[in-house]
Amino acid sequence: MSSLSPTPTPAQDPAFVPDATVSITDVSVWFGQKVALSELACSFGAGVTGLLGPNGAGKTTLMRAITGLLPVNQGNVLVAGVNPRSDRSAHRRVALVPEDEAVPRGLTPRGLCRYVADLHQVADRSIIDWALHAVDLMPVADRRMDGFSKGMRQRSKVAAALVKNPLVLVLDEPLNGADPVQRLALISLFRRLGDEGRTVIVSSHVLHEVESMAERVIVIVRGRLAAAGGHHAIRDAMDTVPRHVLVRCADARRLGSSLATLEAVGGVSFEGMDLVVSTTRARELAVALPQTARDLGIRLAEVRPLDDSLESLFRELVR
Amino acid sequence: MTTVVAPRRRPPIVAVVVYTLGIMLHGKRWVGLALPCATAVLFGLLARALESSPSEDFAQVASTALFGLVLPVACLVIGDSALGSEIRSGSFAFTWLSPVPAWQIALGRWLGGAIIGGGMLAVAFALSAVVAGAAESADEAAVAAAFGTMAYIAVFLAIGCLVRRAAAWSLAYVFLVERLLGAALAGIAQISPGWEARAVFVELANGPTELFRDDIPQGSAAIVRLVAITVVALGLASWRLSHLRLSGSTD
Repeated sequence: MSSLSPTPTPAQDPAFVPDATVSITDVSVWFGQKVALSELACSFGAGVTGLLGPNGAGKTTLMRAITGLLPVNQGNVLVAGVNPRSDRSAHRRVALVPEDEAVPRGLTPRGLCRYVADLHQVADRSIIDWALHAVDLMPVADRRMDGFSKGMRQRSKVAAALVKNPLVLVLDEPLNGADPVQRLALISLFRRLGDEGRTVIVSSHVLHEVESMAERVIVIVRGRLAAAGGHHAIRDAMDTVPRHVLVRCADARRLGSSLATLEAVGGVSFEGMDLVVSTTRARELAVALPQTARDLGIRLAEVRPLDDSLESLFRELVR
Repeated sequence: MTTVVAPRRRPPIVAVVVYTLGIMLHGKRWVGLALPCATAVLFGLLARALESSPSEDFAQVASTALFGLVLPVACLVIGDSALGSEIRSGSFAFTWLSPVPAWQIALGRWLGGAIIGGGMLAVAFALSAVVAGAAESADEAAVAAAFGTMAYIAVFLAIGCLVRRAAAWSLAYVFLVERLLGAALAGIAQISPGWEARAVFVELANGPTELFRDDIPQGSAAIVRLVAITVVALGLASWRLSHLRLSGSTD
């Protein structure tokens, strides 16, 4: 299901969840003439929620508004029933891993975790080692972060966020710079944190990773809520948007001209030797395509949707 | 048997002070702090080249070069590294996103800067007096440097909270507001750490009469004025910190 309405009904709208820990009510944020968020309304609950959108969509602004780093010009942000901007006690429950590459100069990951633990008066100091271990930084925990790669800095920031034992964890591009093994480890960690009942909000440009870790997706385009729900559900709901299917077979041109006569097919085109079929009725095409190929005696080597990913969803929402 | 001692939990304000000391004494920042101190000592050597009595010569050099140039520039470096540069880079979010009240953050940052700046500049100014052959003015130079540093750092912290390009605005404050307007207008000089620190030194060191300014407080009255400037600037910084818009380094 998707939400394209600016004033959704919380009870039915997939932009909202029951037992929300983070509530965004008609939030607008602007910087001078530039509107970063416009009447955004949604909520976040336990589990991992992916925050998606093209560059400049307002993801970082929303994340900073949720943590109280940015005031909102209109509307309301509540974290566990508390306004994080006006009530600093809210910062006990919410942690942010900012996208900024900067880390405090001269500090080690352990030093940063210890500093955060001191600020939050964390009684159980063993959580520092646990957090460093969780992001696999124990071997370099006492090395200065100045010489760290981007990925190691991100992991240091994740460790510092975990030290707060937060109810709400906001992660702005946390996988930036991480190597493939670390990416998998971090994704697994975020999923585990979500399964523990924490609210994990994660933004990323590597969309297949968001697909693999977030059961729910909020899509923001130009500061507005463009869609919400599971990414397959969002895609299915967009039935007016043509889908593209790549067909690889021995005689693509003969199959293409035959398919073009079908009502389920919006158009055909060729990419080299391959056939690309455009349709708004994917289920009908799924039946008609093999049938037509069989009738023509053409063997299908590969049939693959070209746009069943969040990347394509972005493109279509932005268009 | 080995006993593992868990690290002690520090009060938040102590954590902020220790953290501030750590980020300021790191890497090239040392050079930024050591350079003005070395310059202060060099100015002491330069005072020897003058031809009056050593204490008068040092007073002339101190009031012009030490309190007019070295003190504000050193404090600008310290004040910016204590807060402004962190806000610009985005790493201030680690401190801000905590339940620690804004006034404690401001006070902790100021204390960290004042401990380092006040200590280093007081020693450097005293050393400068000794090098100039005016050892009897060393204590007065140190006291004036310490109080001047405290006020300057508080002012630069407040500027760091108020504007994004804190270093540029701080320079403008020193050279346009203090040096230019402060030289002509007593009202500006009375709220200027540079002029007041100089007034502390000149009165306590019994400097030459031409260095006295009748229109601003002198000696211990100037110390009170510097403390007042510090308190007001810290109050402003605290208020501003609680209203910061931290949009990140990319914005």
